[in-house]
Amino acid sequence: MSNKKIKCQINGVAVEVQEGTTVIEAIKKLNQEIAHYCWHPGLSVAGVCRLCMVDIEGQDKLQIACNTKVQEGMVISNQSQKVKKAVRWGLEFHLINHPLDCPICDQAGECELQDQYMKFGTYTPTMAESKVKKRKVVDLGSKIVLDTERCILCSRCVRFTDEVTKTHELGIFNRGDRSEIGVFKDKPLENDYALNTVDICPVGALTSKDFRFKQRVWYMKTSSSICTGCSTGCNIFVDYNEEGLWRVRPRYNEKINGYWMCDKGRGLYRNSNRKNRMNESFEVRDSKWEAISSIQALENLKNLLSQKDQVAFVLTGQYTNEEYESLLKHFPKGSYYHWLNDEKQKKDFDGLLLRGDKNPNTSGLKKVFPKIKTWKDFEKNSSQFQWVFVLAPENHNFYTDLEEKTLVFSKCQKVVWMSVGFNKFLSPKEHFWQIPMKSFFEKTGEYTNFKGIKQKVQKVQTLVPQALCVEEFLKLLKGEKLDLKRTHPYFKNNQFLGKTEKLW
Amino acid sequence: MEHKLLTEHYHRDNYKTLEGYKSRGGYQTLKKTLSKKPEEIVSEVKESGLRGRGGAGFPTGVKWGFLPNNGEPRYLLCNADEGEPGTFKDRMMMERAPHQLIEGMLISAYAIKSKKSYIYLRGEYQKAYKILQEALKESYEAGYLGNKIMGTSFSHEMDIYLGAGAYICGEETGMISSLEGKKGQPKLKPPFPAVQGYLGKPTIVNNVETLAAVVPILRDGSKVYKSIGTEKSPGTKIFSLSGDVLKPGNYELPLGYSLKDLIYNLGGGLKPGRVLKAVIPGGSSVPVLNAEESGRALLDYESLNELGTFLGSGAVIVIDNSHSMMDILSIILEFYHHESCGQCTPCREGTGWISKIIKDVCKGEGVISDWHLIQKISENMMGRTICALSDAAAMPAISFVQKFRSDFEECLYSNGLPVKENVFSKGGI
Amino acid sequence: MLVKRLDVQKMRYLPSIIGGMKLTLKKFFMNLLFPKRRMTLNYPEEYYKYGSRFKGNHILTVKKDGSLRCTACMLCATNCPAHCIKIVASENEDPKVEKYPISYEIDMLRCIFCGFCEEACPVDAIRMGPQWQTPGLIGDNFVYDIRKLAYRKELGESGVVSLVDDKMRIKDGL
Repeated sequence: MSNKKIKCQINGVAVEVQEGTTVIEAIKKLNQEIAHYCWHPGLSVAGVCRLCMVDIEGQDKLQIACNTKVQEGMVISNQSQKVKKAVRWGLEFHLINHPLDCPICDQAGECELQDQYMKFGTYTPTMAESKVKKRKVVDLGSKIVLDTERCILCSRCVRFTDEVTKTHELGIFNRGDRSEIGVFKDKPLENDYALNTVDICPVGALTSKDFRFKQRVWYMKTSSSICTGCSTGCNIFVDYNEEGLWRVRPRYNEKINGYWMCDKGRGLYRNSNRKNRMNESFEVRDSKWEAISSIQALENLKNLLSQKDQVAFVLTGQYTNEEYESLLKHFPKGSYYHWLNDEKQKKDFDGLLLRGDKNPNTSGLKKVFPKIKTWKDFEKNSSQFQWVFVLAPENHNFYTDLEEKTLVFSKCQKVVWMSVGFNKFLSPKEHFWQIPMKSFFEKTGEYTNFKGIKQKVQKVQTLVPQALCVEEFLKLLKGEKLDLKRTHPYFKNNQFLGKTEKLW
Repeated sequence: MEHKLLTEHYHRDNYKTLEGYKSRGGYQTLKKTLSKKPEEIVSEVKESGLRGRGGAGFPTGVKWGFLPNNGEPRYLLCNADEGEPGTFKDRMMMERAPHQLIEGMLISAYAIKSKKSYIYLRGEYQKAYKILQEALKESYEAGYLGNKIMGTSFSHEMDIYLGAGAYICGEETGMISSLEGKKGQPKLKPPFPAVQGYLGKPTIVNNVETLAAVVPILRDGSKVYKSIGTEKSPGTKIFSLSGDVLKPGNYELPLGYSLKDLIYNLGGGLKPGRVLKAVIPGGSSVPVLNAEESGRALLDYESLNELGTFLGSGAVIVIDNSHSMMDILSIILEFYHHESCGQCTPCREGTGWISKIIKDVCKGEGVISDWHLIQKISENMMGRTICALSDAAAMPAISFVQKFRSDFEECLYSNGLPVKENVFSKGGI
Repeated sequence: MLVKRLDVQKMRYLPSIIGGMKLTLKKFFMNLLFPKRRMTLNYPEEYYKYGSRFKGNHILTVKKDGSLRCTACMLCATNCPAHCIKIVASENEDPKVEKYPISYEIDMLRCIFCGFCEEACPVDAIRMGPQWQTPGLIGDNFVYDIRKLAYRKELGESGVVSLVDDKMRIKDGL
């Protein structure tokens, strides 16, 4: 495409856009409001909702903004009475057969139909006929439930399976107002990106089985983060509240993931929730795992660890660059070993986003420890170390060899297993510890993805108070006290902290 | 009187065979044409002023001129999906004179330099399908189709594709979708089919009658053709006369013929004791004319436009005073409700909505505000969709309720119309 | 210790006492002689009857088949200024019902009986009933669950059936 710039005027504002830009893109660029359903920046143009009407000077018919290319000197308006009337009626048409089950619908609160009706709607419905009845609660597979009555047939999901995943599971069956989205009997919607259709569905027609009825969206806050499921490092939104994390949605990043993310990454929030976490440190007493506080556990560790001991670190690529650096600073002479989820699948790639390297920060690890030794070296020398510190994976379920490798650790003398979740395979021997670590949601740091792009995660909320990050772990190991300096920008000028920046 | 250019030999039984067709001068025009340059033919058709006979009335030669000159393969599609209620002109042509269509298509294909063409035939036309297949076989055997036609360098393949009965596949982009093996739904324009059509290649879609009309134009020359009909609408057109007349059927008339003459002279007038109430001049999708308007209407594109209606596909439906117009409207709207493809919201929801309202009115359950509501909904359906189906439903709706308010009120104040069996509720026509 | 005689100056309080006693005795005899005009009640034995629109303890209404009418939309919980309503929703097997509460708890000690939940409810599933005397000794007993809210003894074991707008709702396709 040529880089030629062309000028046009939108609602009285002069704007310069690239040649080939559609009117809707130009309007979005100006951050002006325009009603639309079927248009999605990541998909092709369908032009079926007929809501993005614009008035173009010199054309007596209203045009749809999504299929009209900007031309030199075009004067575009979507504020005229004619357009407003068209949009009002367009919404009216959308709603006449839409059921009024917002109280039950999971989309309520983030529903585009609700939003747009509040902005552009008529507020005085004229429909007095009976609505068209369609199927409700249709099972589309293991992940998604469909409500055909709520569907406004914007065809975003159909285009997604046709254009992005190219799996073609979804289709529109029947015609007219009897049209329904559906799948064939023997071909359920089971691809690795299926849950994206739930995100792009503007109404509550497609809902995720995982999130369905768990929370109302207005009870949740949203924060930006990075997916730690694989080395792609998709940008995500995390929806959470005081009870924990509830779901993960993709965040647009042109360079990395576009508008999408895989379904495997969406399941990761569970690892961070208290239910699946190690909430306290564990120490072995009488061949049993006994819970103690992290401070106490570290105190015990500190007393046992002497300078002369041979210390080995087994690292996984699931920690931030800062954590690796502080580790190197504290133990410059330690032996470091790299534990990868699966050597064979390291280079796997499904063509879209999903990579075989299930660690968000393998590149960062390799950069901080350029000469890191492999797992095989560790297996050979495992008996010679008095201490083995394992920076274990945050996402246990991606490490299929967890049990097998834990057996190797079980043979070592003193093992400190640091992870987000409790490792039930680790046998309770004397001088074995399990220390809870912070998940990606609770710490601030930087991940380097497979391309070498550095991305920051911000601490949002503490879910497990006992959990530590590697820096804190090392500080406690040295006998220093943790300062309570808040990393969140909101807390910087906290008047209650006083000069010492300590709460008590 | 009738002016028979296309329908001249329809009464002959053997005209549908290659032998019979050839004995009446068949394929002579093709032979003559193949010696000319394609550009000459396009300009000849352009000069003749031939307008599309499918409904929209777009000048055929101009349409052919839209093809880009980039050497890509081109396709010619013959739109034989004659779905407009009241139209049966193409069916007769395909059943009585299939070779006329094939010759017309060959000439057109030569003009637009196409090597492959399809006849998209309506699924219900089983008889025409068999006859066309037979005719194609004959033509292939006689060397009028296939490689090096009549010894020239022009080669052409032709195929028939049977539709599955959807009205919307008569819309050109809907037809292309259907032909590509997709769901028969119209595509967004731009890009137009002449630029990106069948399989993304430049495609010309023409009606059966349009393609057949190319033969007499090139046989007699554009000047002779232009002398028939009116200045802006030259040539002849086949009108399918139906409804409450004594002699319904296909009549080929020069454009500009009086509607009154068609009904009362050729059509034999109404049944005794009946009074003309309304005429739909161009298939069910155009606005209706009341008795007074139809008395002064002339059958050509311009004069009907002046009366606020269209020539459409030339299906003249005559309605006398034994019918309630609301009953007819409810049947028309039920048809469009049933046939809406469901892509664009205004059409998908709007056709169903007005159809339900008018049904309630017919049952006697309507309210007076429905009269305004139908018009309001229809106005907002018009021009808001990808194809013209929503206009096709909205235009009759507006014209019926506006011109026949007395019928509307009669339904409201009596207890509705007597209940009739609905053909659609039984699961299709 | 010397007891000082009160002088007249310091006995000025007596008229007020007498005045007060006059009122007290008047009320005493009035109450004694005309018990119907009494302003007070002997509370535990007798109590005041409020109007039917009194905002007392909550009732969860039920459908004809006895199941809860609540769809777990959580609008009451959202609207509650005291944050005393806790709902856990779940999927119902009947696709027409779709969503229903498996747990619905109101902390009566937190509740300020403002009636906002009743107002917010789109399906007439929660009402404020006339009942208001619910003493108790254990704090836990004041967290009312579905059994107590919908099927407590005072409501009759089968619950209160609500039929508001049912016809309209069926017509609208809800």
